[in-house]
Amino acid sequence: MTRSRQRRPRRPRGGAARAALALAALLFLAVALGGCGSGARQVRLMYAGSLIVPFERLATAFEEQNPGVDVVTESHGSIQVLRHVTELNDRVDVVVSADEQLIPPLMYERDDPATGRPWASWYCSFATNRVVLAVSPRSPLADELTPHTWYRRLAAGDVRFGLADPRFDAAGYRALMVLQLAEREYDEPLLLEDTLVGRFTTPITVEHEKGVDVIEVPEILETSAGSNIVLRGASIQLVALLESGDLDCAFEYESVARQHGLKYVRLPASVDLGHERLRDRYASVRVKLDFRRFASVRPEFTGDVIRYALTIPANAPDAELARRFVAFLLGPEGRRILAADHQPLLRPPEPDDPAAVPEEVRRACAGAG
Amino acid sequence: MRRRRMSGRRISPFWALCVAAGILVVVFVAMPAASMLAGAGAGLLGEALRQDDVRRSLVLTVSAALITTVIGFVAGVPLAYLLARKEFPGKRAVEGLIDVPIVFPHTAAGIALLTVYGRQGIAGRLLAPLGLEFTETVAGIVLAMLFVSLPFLVDGSREAFALVDERYEHVARTLGSSRFGAFARVTFPQAWRGVLAGALLMWGRGISEFGAVVILAYNPKVISVLTFERFEGFGLRAAQPPAVLIVLVAFLVFVLVRALSAPRRRRSGTEPP
Repeated sequence: MTRSRQRRPRRPRGGAARAALALAALLFLAVALGGCGSGARQVRLMYAGSLIVPFERLATAFEEQNPGVDVVTESHGSIQVLRHVTELNDRVDVVVSADEQLIPPLMYERDDPATGRPWASWYCSFATNRVVLAVSPRSPLADELTPHTWYRRLAAGDVRFGLADPRFDAAGYRALMVLQLAEREYDEPLLLEDTLVGRFTTPITVEHEKGVDVIEVPEILETSAGSNIVLRGASIQLVALLESGDLDCAFEYESVARQHGLKYVRLPASVDLGHERLRDRYASVRVKLDFRRFASVRPEFTGDVIRYALTIPANAPDAELARRFVAFLLGPEGRRILAADHQPLLRPPEPDDPAAVPEEVRRACAGAG
Repeated sequence: MRRRRMSGRRISPFWALCVAAGILVVVFVAMPAASMLAGAGAGLLGEALRQDDVRRSLVLTVSAALITTVIGFVAGVPLAYLLARKEFPGKRAVEGLIDVPIVFPHTAAGIALLTVYGRQGIAGRLLAPLGLEFTETVAGIVLAMLFVSLPFLVDGSREAFALVDERYEHVARTLGSSRFGAFARVTFPQAWRGVLAGALLMWGRGISEFGAVVILAYNPKVISVLTFERFEGFGLRAAQPPAVLIVLVAFLVFVLVRALSAPRRRRSGTEPP
């Protein structure tokens, strides 16, 4: 019996065996890959989309300096970044927002239901930026967009331009501020209205309250059919559309435009939200979001110089490692990486409340002056 | 010399293993679906239908997927018939190519479509003078849906045609039918269930598409994009109405597909002991 079996043609069994072997190999590979870094200490970073390029580099450099540490990164529009922690129950070690203004209302004034304490109690501002009008290299209109013409071209409506959603992304409400500030700069009293009217199913409106221009963003923001405005959840998502030529131009941060080698129109200092000395001027505009339905956030943002800020949430899974990362980021190596990626820095970094900031972070700030 | 072990009434370990694995899979699939449908109380559903943007999005999604399916039907059914009946060089390659969108990550499909149909893409530039633009338009939504869902219709139809005995067509032709006549009066009436099931599957796939659509057209918002936006921007509670609604629609499509394909099925397995 044994002999007869051995003489049987083996092809079908061999095939099955090979398939099983291949499957086992695949499984092994998957387990091996999945196992990589398991057992390693993890630091989870959640940051504004405009920081993707330098933060990938920061993550790599930090891992090299700290063998056995695994840096996990995730990016969104800044409002989302904070909401991931406070509403979607993501446990994060370091949070970075493109706007320091977002942290107090979204994290200080609300409590983690698990502990009954606020989500965070300090932040440290460390970087700034400027808003520019990035221009697609493939746009036929590329040469026509200049510091003297851009606003008229946008208002004329024949330029297809990208806007980050002001409800979710700091770059979005900042772009609206830029348009409103440009009204004064260029003495074009209805610039924002002309640029946005008819482009959305529910209009974005402006009201004047005691010398401040208040831009009101409706709860449902959808471009209307045939609109020359293209809306995306975060400014960083517009970059690919600029590169493919599906947009003529888009409001972006200068650092992002430079990281991607995009041409851009530099905006006047009184408009680009990048100059400390012009803070009062910027404060003449405000953006109000109308979130009646869901009321999870009812934010109002006053125009201000762009300031990126970071914090360590109170429920960070590995606060010790988080502090080490922040010190690295604010230290010479981190600042070198950020600067190399055209991210303008605050010198020195400024904690909002030095007494509340952890010791390592305070020392790193002081050392970075 | 084969020995057969009579197991009597005892359940063999083999079948026990199969049943255990089966139960795990059924529970795994049923739980999220059931949780979604259980959550879909009349209250949440009413809320969804009262919200303007959800209603608009639902109509947009269902109708864009329907347009997609009609286009797929006109273009895909002849191809399916060709594949079922004819041998030609490169046939295997064509069959493989048709299925490629199934394994494409859908965001990658969206990017691929953008490079071809975007404003500066080859097809995009050719079609722009005809007023056809694919970014931020319904045309873009249809394009994305078509790309990812076409395999379901082509594969389903091809199998349905293959099951129709070619001899009937020959008989019809010897009796004086034209090729068109033979197809319309003999083949299609026998294969339509399978074709329709394929079309419904395509429709359902179109309705549920997210990744490719969101790259070409964030606006106007199909229901998957709206659900995602609600979830990201406003939280779980806000995302529930559109999510529940789309799950119900998908479920309905699914029931239709099952109802259509059921009578074709013949039991081929044996009863487990």
